[in-house]
Amino acid sequence: MRSPSLRVRLMAGFAAGALLLSTSIALLSYELTRRSLLAERERTAVRVTYFDATVVQAGLATDQPDIVEVLRSLDTGAIRRPVLRRDGTWYARTADAGGTSVVPASLRQLAEQGRPGVQRVRTDGHSALVVAVPLARSTVFYEVHSLQELENTFQVLALVLTLVAGATAVAGAGGGWHATRCVLRPLASVAAAAQEITNGDLTARLDPATEPELARLAASFNQMVDQLARRIERDRRFAADVSHELRSPLQTLAAAASVLAKRRADLDARSATAVALVTDEVSRFQTLVTDLLELARSDQPPERAPVDLAELARQVCRSRGLPADIVRVDGAHDATWQVDRRRFEQVLVNLVDNAGRHGGGAVAVRIGHAAGVRYVEVDDEGPGVRAEDREAIFYRFFRGRSANARGDGEGTGLGLALVSEHVAAHGGSVLVTDRPSGGARFRVELPENTP
Amino acid sequence: MAALLVIEDDDRIRLSLALALEDEGHAVREASTAEDGLIAQRKDPADAVLVDLMLPGVDGFECIRELRRTDDVPIIVISARSDTHDIVAALEAGADDYVVKPVAVKELSARLRAVNRRVRPAASPVPALVFGELEIRPEAGEVRLHGEPVAVTRTEFRLLCELAEHAGRVLSRQQLLERVWEYSIGDERLVDVHVGRLRQKIEENPAAPRHLVTMRGLGYKLLR
Repeated sequence: MRSPSLRVRLMAGFAAGALLLSTSIALLSYELTRRSLLAERERTAVRVTYFDATVVQAGLATDQPDIVEVLRSLDTGAIRRPVLRRDGTWYARTADAGGTSVVPASLRQLAEQGRPGVQRVRTDGHSALVVAVPLARSTVFYEVHSLQELENTFQVLALVLTLVAGATAVAGAGGGWHATRCVLRPLASVAAAAQEITNGDLTARLDPATEPELARLAASFNQMVDQLARRIERDRRFAADVSHELRSPLQTLAAAASVLAKRRADLDARSATAVALVTDEVSRFQTLVTDLLELARSDQPPERAPVDLAELARQVCRSRGLPADIVRVDGAHDATWQVDRRRFEQVLVNLVDNAGRHGGGAVAVRIGHAAGVRYVEVDDEGPGVRAEDREAIFYRFFRGRSANARGDGEGTGLGLALVSEHVAAHGGSVLVTDRPSGGARFRVELPENTP
Repeated sequence: MAALLVIEDDDRIRLSLALALEDEGHAVREASTAEDGLIAQRKDPADAVLVDLMLPGVDGFECIRELRRTDDVPIIVISARSDTHDIVAALEAGADDYVVKPVAVKELSARLRAVNRRVRPAASPVPALVFGELEIRPEAGEVRLHGEPVAVTRTEFRLLCELAEHAGRVLSRQQLLERVWEYSIGDERLVDVHVGRLRQKIEENPAAPRHLVTMRGLGYKLLR
C-alpha cells in the first residue's frame, strides 16, 4: 500500500497538534473559570445568607414570632429559598417540603453544633448551594441558592470552548496545507523543470535566487542539466556530421551509378554485371544509410498533428502499386489520429513493403479502435512469422532464418526496427501474430487518449 | 529538357549530378559558390536552379533569397540536412522544393519536371478570376492586386490557380501536394510555407487572411 502523501501527512499532523493544544487549553480554562465562578458565587451566597440571617434573627427576636411570615418578609427572588429549622421543626415560606429535604444531614449536624457551613447539593436535576447559619440554640437558618444560571453559563462556555478547539484544529490543518505548499513549491519547480527537460527543452534551469534554502539543489541540478545539454549537443552535432559525411559521397555514388546504368547496353557482359551490382548495392546502401540516420534520431518526440490514417494508408498503397481499397476502417470510426505524419507514413510504408518482400504483398490494411486503443493492422498471405522470431523480428538487422530472406538484396534489416521505434516514440507498441486464414498480421497499437 | 544551374561546393557531387542530369536530357551549368551561381544566373538565366545549403561564403539560404529578389526561377534545394528547421528556413527563403541527399536521379528529374510545369492550358479560354481586389489571369500567368501586378513564383502561381479553380472549397494539404508538386506522398510543410509566402503577397494583413484561409485540420481554401 502506498503511504499517504507528504501533504496529507503534514496536514493531519498539524491538525492533530492544533486539536490537542486547543483542547488542553480549553479544558484548563474551562476548569479555572468554573472554579473561580463557583468560588465567587459561594462567597456571594454566604454574604447574602448572613444578611438574610440577620433579618430573620431580628424577626425572631419578638415574642411569639410567626416564623413563616418572617421568612416571607425576606426579599429573596426566585433563586434562593430560605428555610429555618427550630427545635427540630422545619419552617419554610411555602408548605413544600422540597426546600427542607435539600439540606444534607451532614450539614445539618454541623450547623446544629453551632458551626456555619456551606455545601453544594443537587436538587431537581440542578446544582444548588446550601448555606447554613446557626442563629441561636437549636435554631439554624438555611438558604438554598440555585446554581442553575451558573450551570447555563458553564454550558455556554463549554460550547464556545469546543467550537474554538474545533476551529483551531481546522486552522491547524489549513496551516499545515499552507506550510506543505510553501515547502513543496520549490520541489514542484524542480519537478516542472525536470519535466520541461524531459520534453526536450534543454534551456530549462532553476533560479537559485528564488529559493535560498534550495540553492545547492538548484546549483547541482543546473550543473547536471548543463552537462546533459552539452552531451546532447555534442551527440547531435556528431550525428549531423555523420549524416553529412555519409550522405554526400552517397549522392555522388548514386548519380554516378545512374550514369553507368544508362550505358549498360554499351558494355561487355562482365562490365554490365559489375555495373548492375554497383547500382543495386548503391541503392540498397542509400536506403540503409537513410534508415540508420532515421533510427539514430527516432527517440525524438513526435511532432503530432491530426492525420487521416485511412487516407495516408491509401496513399501508401497507391504509391506501392497496391489497390487503395484494401484499406478498410473498422466500424463507424473516425480514422483521424494525433501522430507525426512523416513517421507514421514510414511505419505504413515499411509494414507494406515488408509484406511485399516476405509475405507476397499486403492483402488488407485495417484501421480501427477497441478497448482504449487505436490499431492499424497489415495482413499478408505469406508463410507468416515463426513464433520464436516474433520478438526478434523487430530488432535491428534481424534477418529471417530462411536462405531466401537473406538473399533478398532489397531489405536493409532496419525497416521493422524503425516501425517499432516510431511507434514506441508515440507511446504505442507493435506485434506480429498469425492471420486467421494464413499469413502474418502486423498490428500497431496506440493508446486511445494520446495527447 | 531544360537548362539547369547546379550550385554545389562538393566537386564530386556537382560533377556526378551534372553527368547524370545531362543523361536525362538537361543542359547543365555548374557553380561551386553562391556568388558564382548568382553571376551565372544573372548573365544567362537557367530554367531551374539546384542549390546546396552548406556553401562557403554566402550560404544556400542567402543565395536563394538573392535569387528570389529578381527571379521567379524554380529553385530546388538539394541538401544533406534533413532538420525541420533547415527545410522550413529554405522554403521560407523562397525555394520551391526540397530534396535530401542522397536523392535518386529519377526522383530529381521528376521534381524538376513538376516545378517547371506551367499552369496547364484550359480547353477553352479561361476568363480572369476575380476575388475582390485580387485578380488571377491563368492564361497570362499574372496576379494583380488592386490592378497592380504581383510577383509570384511559378509554384506559388500554380498553387493559387489550384485554389482559385476550387474557390470556396477546401483542398487538403495532400491534394495540393499532388496537384501542385506532383507528390503521391510528400511533405506537408511545402504547402504550409508556400501558403505563408502567398499570403505575404496577396493579403493586406497576412496574419489575418481574408482570401487564403486555413481550415483547421482540413486544409486551405480561397474565398472571394
